[in-house]
Amino acid sequence: MHMAKGKPSTADLRKHHALPGGHKRQLAFLMMLLPGIAFLICFSYLPMPGIIMAFKNYRLAIPPKDFWIQNRFIYSVFVQNPWVGLTNFKFLTATPDGAMILRNTVGYNLLFMVTGLVLSVGLAVVIHELRNRRAAKVYHTILFLPYFISWIVVSYALYALISTTGMFNQIARATNSATINYYTKVQYWPYIFWIANIWKYTGNGSIIYLATLTGFDQDLYEAAAIDGAGKWRQFWTITLPQLMPTIVLLQILAIGRFFNSDFDMFFSLPNGSGILRNATNTIDVYVYHALSGGSQMGYAAAGAFFQSTVGFILVLTTNMIVRRVEPDMSLF
Amino acid sequence: MVEAHQRRERAPRNEKTMNQLSKHTNLGLNILMILSCIAVLLPIWLIIIASFTEENTLKSFGYAFWPREFSTKAYTYLFSSNSIIGTAYKNTVLSTVLGTIASMISVGLYAYPLSRKEFRFRKFFAFFSFFTMLFNGGLVSYFFVARNVLNLTNSLWALFLPLSFSAFWVLVMRTFYTSAVPDAVIESARIDGASEWRTLLQIVLPLSLPGLATVALFSAVGVWNNFFQCMLLTNEAKYFNLQYTIYTTLNNIRFLKDMASSVGGNFNISVAELPSETFRMGMAVLTVGPIILAYPFFQRYFIRGLTIGAVKG
Repeated sequence: MHMAKGKPSTADLRKHHALPGGHKRQLAFLMMLLPGIAFLICFSYLPMPGIIMAFKNYRLAIPPKDFWIQNRFIYSVFVQNPWVGLTNFKFLTATPDGAMILRNTVGYNLLFMVTGLVLSVGLAVVIHELRNRRAAKVYHTILFLPYFISWIVVSYALYALISTTGMFNQIARATNSATINYYTKVQYWPYIFWIANIWKYTGNGSIIYLATLTGFDQDLYEAAAIDGAGKWRQFWTITLPQLMPTIVLLQILAIGRFFNSDFDMFFSLPNGSGILRNATNTIDVYVYHALSGGSQMGYAAAGAFFQSTVGFILVLTTNMIVRRVEPDMSLF
Repeated sequence: MVEAHQRRERAPRNEKTMNQLSKHTNLGLNILMILSCIAVLLPIWLIIIASFTEENTLKSFGYAFWPREFSTKAYTYLFSSNSIIGTAYKNTVLSTVLGTIASMISVGLYAYPLSRKEFRFRKFFAFFSFFTMLFNGGLVSYFFVARNVLNLTNSLWALFLPLSFSAFWVLVMRTFYTSAVPDAVIESARIDGASEWRTLLQIVLPLSLPGLATVALFSAVGVWNNFFQCMLLTNEAKYFNLQYTIYTTLNNIRFLKDMASSVGGNFNISVAELPSETFRMGMAVLTVGPIILAYPFFQRYFIRGLTIGAVKG
């Protein structure tokens, strides 16, 4: 009697686990998903079919009064507008702009990827190794700060540095060298973007490496030190190999975003100076200008299509590679 | 990670000193770090100082590390009732508050069923959210859907709704639920007869507050700093947020300056009518101010959230 009350039979247990709440619980779960589903549908899934705009000649048309779709946009894209094949993609191959945009997008991404990797890992290791822990924490807090400052505010800070009355030109005047109007000189801008990118993202990028570093087995380092390996040697033989999985994963993910660029940065830092477009135009900026200009809607749609599909293919390919090399680290 | 650092600090001295940086290297790296910190803070410092400089001094002597002539005129003007920044501030604060609430509700609720193994459609809805990280309809299609289907243009909704939900936050939050709440706790709540809603609201959420705080902070900073949605979806000044307002202001001034120098200085009157340089720098300070002030308090949450989300998610 006592036994039966205290211990439920295994059959009871199995029943309990197989049907934890049954339909009622499942329904509660589904209800919880609803707000998220609404957001996902509105802002992610609804725009997806519209990607076919890249192959259409877009013109806003008014649906007939008795037609079952009354929304002008949906009617235009999915019913009215004619297919035009690959005509919209001509901007990529036929115009010098297309080559320039692709070159800028991929070039900046490569540059940012390499320097971001080296500096983030370097910063993480330095923060980790510093003897004064309290100071290390303060440094990291400060270096992480730019991540939270919008590119618009950064464009103000940049203005304070490089405008004709800015800090750089003050120094130039004080040292009797020529002043430079940076907002009209295209050759400086790759460097400006490069430094701005380092300034904003290095502290943030180092967080994941720092977290990985603190998880390492310290005995390995002690043993290496006893064997006479200096810090530099320890970095190459212990730290870097152990960081490798994280590094590889993050870089492969970055490759998936190769045709996306930091729109806010490229758009806001030049302060709308059109002379600089050779250095500042990336796919995102081009698509935005084509869209807001209104006359090159097809080009804009083609650019957007290119970005999201090539990005998608790159993510799938890289994930496949990751799964083959290191199955545990693949995304899906 | 923060905890790990503290653990290292508490380690016995003799164990630590064995494998440390040499004094010289340590000193060199400290100097390097201090210089980096100065390089990070300097541009922000320049804006703050410029906003406290007297207008004509700034015009004739340029930007400096310390105000040549101190003045708070820019702020007096900024805080006067008829300044354009008032509306922008109201819009930004309102959309940040609403956006943060919307994120906490939608992400907090969406991630919970995904963390429960007994939810039958877990795999499907995890993919439903994750897929949006891999593929999207592109900017053009998004713009038309937001404008012609969702009717978001020229409304306050445009400033935060598109930013309220993100699959990445769902990953972070789900990881928090699975790591912070032991299965046994949920099991016992159920045996006591609690419904799934009650389990979530009274037992799971209080244990996952750091995770929810991470999502809230991500969302708040995202909405506060957002400029693209505002530029894309609004064209009436009464819906502009701070970021977009200060963007348009900087652009107007530059444009007029270019004109003035190329035409020969006949534009002085119209330039004078526009907000002056110190005024604009003051606007930038007021835009970034709340973030810098709140930063020391929220950055550790961010670090934790990013770490957990990225390592385990």
